[in-house]
Amino acid sequence: MATKTPTPNPRPADDTSLLQPHGWLQKILVWIVSEATPKCRDVVRILSEQMDHELPLITRWKLRLHFVACCWCERYMRQLHYLRETARHFPQHIGEVQGPALSPEARLRLKRVLNNP
Amino acid sequence: MEQPGGAPFSSGPAESPAAIIAAMRGRGQTNPERWVDEHGDLLFRYALVRVRRREVAEDLVQETLLSAMRSREKFAGQSSERSWLFGILKHKISDYFRELGRETSFTDLESLADEFSEKFVPEGYWVHVKGPKEWKPEADEVLHRAEFWQTMRNCLDKLPERIANVFMLREMEELESKEICSMLSISESNLWVMLHRARMALRECLEINWFNREK
Repeated sequence: MATKTPTPNPRPADDTSLLQPHGWLQKILVWIVSEATPKCRDVVRILSEQMDHELPLITRWKLRLHFVACCWCERYMRQLHYLRETARHFPQHIGEVQGPALSPEARLRLKRVLNNP
Repeated sequence: MEQPGGAPFSSGPAESPAAIIAAMRGRGQTNPERWVDEHGDLLFRYALVRVRRREVAEDLVQETLLSAMRSREKFAGQSSERSWLFGILKHKISDYFRELGRETSFTDLESLADEFSEKFVPEGYWVHVKGPKEWKPEADEVLHRAEFWQTMRNCLDKLPERIANVFMLREMEELESKEICSMLSISESNLWVMLHRARMALRECLEINWFNREK
């Protein structure tokens, strides 16, 4: 039976994962982590759900374990919080965004309506 | 530094709410016509980002100012006038989508469904060289960068409409998931799928157009 060859997936220089597959022991540990935790494609979905409701304890522990060998998912989680933190300030900064103004007609209409509500 | 488009939300030096209101009344500053000149453009710009249709955005600004006029006696002066008006506008936007949710389906499980498949290898892991990069500067620093807000707006504009809507209801109007689901008559699991796609797309867009651009 032919065994499936894993897709080549080199780790770039900015890989800051705590556990990296450099020696045989680390390779085994990374393999255990990848088998015991969801795959990255599912982790990002779960991380988004975590922004909206509390996850079961076991899922939260699996995520923590996953982060040990995957700095990308851990970064993704921090970036979801970054998005939340900045997005909620967006309305206050709308004056710094280019965009159309009220048309002179709309401005006149508004003033007329406010004078005769 | 004076921000283009008007002063920020802060109400300046601390004064008692009663003193602020008394001062405003004394100077005739609760004149709603003045709101059109001082805040109309910014209210309109935010409404336009939210609803994407000029005539609807104008209607929302009108409803906001009318509502503010009716309740101006209740304005406690604890926030700036602009943030008070924006608070009313956010409620009007929620009401608008609540009404729309009764008439049209808000569920969108098709948009962006396969958009990010190239980010993962078939085994389900990140393509490591395409994985998320470190984001610098920190969030509290970008809050003061006008170019960041412009990029955020451009990225929001690129999102499919219903996906953008649920994201902005959740993260800008800061509504709870359950509230959004009942407002738009969509299931929680569908909302989570849509929010996940919105966050994934927005994250990607900001990384390409803002964070990588900085380097």
